[in-house]
Amino acid sequence: AKVQPPEKPLQDEEWNRLKEDFQSPKIFEEVMLNSMVRCNSPIDVAKSLLTHVAKSSGDISYSLLLKYLSLCVQQGQTSEIHDVYDIMKIRFKVLESGAYNLLIRGLSDSEQWKMALTLLEEVKKTMIPSRINYESCIKAASRHQEMELAFELYHEMLAKDLVPTLDVLQAFFDFSRGMEGAELQKELFGILLRLRNNQIYPHKTFMESIKLWFESIPGGNWRGHLTNIKDSGQCPVCNHQLEDIELTEEEYNNLREKLISDVIHGTDPFRKTSPQEFEAFQTFVEKRLPFNIVIDGLNVSHTNPRKMQCQNLLDAVNCLAKENARLLVLGRKHMLANSSNWKRKIMKEMQSKADFFFAENISEDDAFLLYATLQSGKHCKFVTRDFLRDHKACLSDSLTRHLFRKWQRGHQIVFSSSVEGKHIHFSPALCYDCVVQTTGDTWHIPYKDTFEEKYSYQVPRKWLCIQQK
Amino acid sequence: MPTSTSQISEHSTRLSMQSANMLLKKIVRSSVIPFAAQHGMKKDLFPLSRTLSLSLGLKQDNSCSPEGKLDLDAWKKVMKSGFQEEVSETVSEHKELSTLAAAREIIDMWRLAGRSVPENISEEQLKTFVECPSKSAQKKYLKFLHLKELYRKNDKRKMDEKRERRLEAKEHDRKADETKKNSFICLWTSGMDRAYSWRVAQSMIFGQPLVFDMSYEKDMSFRETTNTVRQLVFSEACNRRSVDPFHIHFCNFKDDSLYHKEFIKHYREAWSKLLVTVTDQCYTELFPKDKLVYLTADSPKVMKTFDHDKIYIVGSMVDKSIKTGVSLARAKRLGLETAALPLEKYLLWNTGAKNLTLDQMMHILLTLKDTGDWRKALEFVPKRKFHGFVSKPVHELKKTLNIINTIKIGKRQEELQKQFMKNYSKKLRQK
Repeated sequence: AKVQPPEKPLQDEEWNRLKEDFQSPKIFEEVMLNSMVRCNSPIDVAKSLLTHVAKSSGDISYSLLLKYLSLCVQQGQTSEIHDVYDIMKIRFKVLESGAYNLLIRGLSDSEQWKMALTLLEEVKKTMIPSRINYESCIKAASRHQEMELAFELYHEMLAKDLVPTLDVLQAFFDFSRGMEGAELQKELFGILLRLRNNQIYPHKTFMESIKLWFESIPGGNWRGHLTNIKDSGQCPVCNHQLEDIELTEEEYNNLREKLISDVIHGTDPFRKTSPQEFEAFQTFVEKRLPFNIVIDGLNVSHTNPRKMQCQNLLDAVNCLAKENARLLVLGRKHMLANSSNWKRKIMKEMQSKADFFFAENISEDDAFLLYATLQSGKHCKFVTRDFLRDHKACLSDSLTRHLFRKWQRGHQIVFSSSVEGKHIHFSPALCYDCVVQTTGDTWHIPYKDTFEEKYSYQVPRKWLCIQQK
Repeated sequence: MPTSTSQISEHSTRLSMQSANMLLKKIVRSSVIPFAAQHGMKKDLFPLSRTLSLSLGLKQDNSCSPEGKLDLDAWKKVMKSGFQEEVSETVSEHKELSTLAAAREIIDMWRLAGRSVPENISEEQLKTFVECPSKSAQKKYLKFLHLKELYRKNDKRKMDEKRERRLEAKEHDRKADETKKNSFICLWTSGMDRAYSWRVAQSMIFGQPLVFDMSYEKDMSFRETTNTVRQLVFSEACNRRSVDPFHIHFCNFKDDSLYHKEFIKHYREAWSKLLVTVTDQCYTELFPKDKLVYLTADSPKVMKTFDHDKIYIVGSMVDKSIKTGVSLARAKRLGLETAALPLEKYLLWNTGAKNLTLDQMMHILLTLKDTGDWRKALEFVPKRKFHGFVSKPVHELKKTLNIINTIKIGKRQEELQKQFMKNYSKKLRQK
């Protein structure tokens, strides 16, 4: 049911006529106000409708008031927002989150933004405010240069486990431009470290805000340049070498232990493999350690659909075996049964070039892939096109998940076949770490173009280099 | 922020205030507002007029417009008047609200705002609501309660209508035919019950066992467990009504488990008289291992035929979140044979997971046992999950091919005959 809202305020009789023409008169007011919000009708039209409702029934329902409020917020009608708030407070003991969301949003954009803070306090009495509530208040405070207050709210929301949007973080940089103060700088550096710790990449406009802020610090002499980092990990602007992607010894051991307990064993070791099989695999790996490259045989065998699966695998093994590397190929037992896709002759040929481990057909070979790679040591890489998302999801805490991602970026060799399908191209793993990083007098911040699509294993190629002269 | 409370609470004679206000409310509502607002009464009538006059002042040009007669802010006066006395009461109450009461008020407000929340909510439900770990969990829970309430209401409405209709029919019957006689005594339900019980009792001695593995309680949430028991109750009922029932075993069943509690909720006293075997033993202790087959959608082996000598095990689990391989792991651990239904073979799958509900499994297994016909059995897979039966087994395909061919040949012969008749008649006419 849709209606076109009138352009001018109507008299009672006119509203009555409209209502009679409407197919379901019970919800006429609701539908009408909804469409007013949608069409952004003049506020007087909505008022005339409310007046009509008030006169005919002596009361206006909460949901109608809410809709009117959202129209007011949409148009920034501050005095109306106040009036609606007064009315709601008189009529109802408490207000629910929807009303507070609208009120806080509406008032934080106005001159009476402090009122939004009072409302935020009121919300806190009954529930946890949403991150958008905080966002409105923080933006309002920073817009009025009350940075201390803004940061106080920011820390309060972090303490409540609310994740701030990139918008809020950007607002801090936008409104701190040109301001002095060591405390303020410390807070903003803190935000940059937050990006680092959570492996968040700012988008282009956010990056520009960061750049402008750095360059505006009085007496800071910071200069920012946009650049692409070389494969070697060296910044072409300042010749600085970016952080190595390798995990520390402690991180590495932590990750390995967590992977074995959470991913391979999980809640039930029988779900992905069986204890006997895993033990057999462990002794197999221990005897032949260390490997240089571990290959997910089944994944690689699907590179080129026009070729036989074992041929694909053979191509990959030949390609990777060149530099005297020790290879381990993981597969399943069905690969050994001489079938149309898995010729025994070719399998034999491969087994002379690489070590093979065949898991049961119902076991998950990915878990073995991770184990063998981690057990071989830091130098060992693995080959698969799998994103390993489900394994990451098995990890119990976010810290280990970040470690896993970092390790994956540094150790996963992703491949693709050329157009004619003759060659397989292996894109090597990164040797530098792609996170926000600093040395004190330089900052390097990776960023993405706003609408760039990005897979979890991919990292941005574009960087902002900031150095102090 | 000007609040009305301090001004109002100063009034010592609240009772008289109240009655006065009631009067005012009536006056205001009977559309004399424009009159009241234009006269000096405003100040005394509306203690809240500070903000009011402010916004009135801002909108001054409105009153000069062609719609001058229209007081656009009239609704505010209506809303602000007449409710003053309630405020002074509520404010004093407000401070001593417990979390539960506060939650109840918020939910009330959400209802007014038009969100899907239940109208009535019990203390227990309120506690569950407060303990929800996140806002979205709270929202989901309220929606669940809301829907439950709607269904219940709908059912009740239908029941009432039915009762009315029945009463009417009775009345009608009595008037129409009072001397109607019936040689059977109407004892259908109890008679049927006895017949069913007899059959199930026989199956407990001679019937093929069917095991429900009740060891998944720790893998499920509360709601999943209650759903599981519901499905088990359905399964038991459908087994009881079948021609040749299974002998149902609930294995690994712990007394005072959530399963147990939920069963008692459903069956009440009938639980102890139920014709099923309930045991805390594992099926491996009751039956020889080589006879057991664990049915799980994750099994790599596909079931070909229903074996009357095997004992099939069904995991009593509902997994709303994805828990792949839980029951397969259990079978692997015990070294049991596993099997999955040949869904792919017979059905062109559309959407949805391949795991079926327990009562659907029961229907399928019973049909298989009686007929051995996969097509008939797989009719119990929900229709939304598959497009249709396409890939039929080879022998059946051959059969249809044969039928098509015979029809074709038959048609051809018919056509030849027609042609012949035509020509023949032509010849006749020509003569």
